Amino acid sequence: MKNHLRELRTFNQWSQGDLADKLDVSRQTINAIETEKYDPSLPLAFKIARLFKKPVEEIFRSDR
Amino acid sequence: MDKMNTMESVQPCSGSYSYKRDLLLNVWLMVAAVVYVISLFLLKHHPDWTPLTRGLVTLSPLIPGLLYVRSCLRFVRGLDELQRRIQLEAWLFASLGSLIVATVVNVLNASGVGLAGLDHGLSLWGTYILTFALWLVGTAVANCRYK
Repeated sequence: MKNHLRELRTFNQWSQGDLADKLDVSRQTINAIETEKYDPSLPLAFKIARLFKKPVEEIFRSDR
Repeated sequence: MDKMNTMESVQPCSGSYSYKRDLLLNVWLMVAAVVYVISLFLLKHHPDWTPLTRGLVTLSPLIPGLLYVRSCLRFVRGLDELQRRIQLEAWLFASLGSLIVATVVNVLNASGVGLAGLDHGLSLWGTYILTFALWLVGTAVANCRYK
């Protein structure tokens, strides 16, 4: 799955650690999502969408 | 609300080691070890006890052992979702790896190809050590994959 998490995070001038704290996950999770090695769970995807005030499909899209 | 658990919080050499979290996770393991030593002592010095009493004393470390399993499950439930996946993969690797090694050793013994020191299959402690070693490998590999 492709995502725009890194762009959104850098736009808000947050570090990976800042975003991890806001989402209550580890920095490793943020890094793995940004590098597209790990697809977040549905609750986490919605949490990310809520935080950035964007629809989920605008942040994440299927690469197929 | 409590902060989520991290594996680093229970690793003494890491920067974010938490004595409290380590104690919460491992206290029942220590109690189980103490109860095990006491039960061995009692069984050695009271050979006259009935089989039922001896059985109860022998199995007494099982109670703190089960409480330790509960602590582990609670700790894993509090982990971040990626760490939960890493741990799941690591434990799957460790348990299946141990199962395969134990099967291979037994099959080789049954076919007459005896392995030095493993004539009766893997011992209980051998299985524990093998599972722990495979868990370490599994955790390292899974961590590398999601780095």
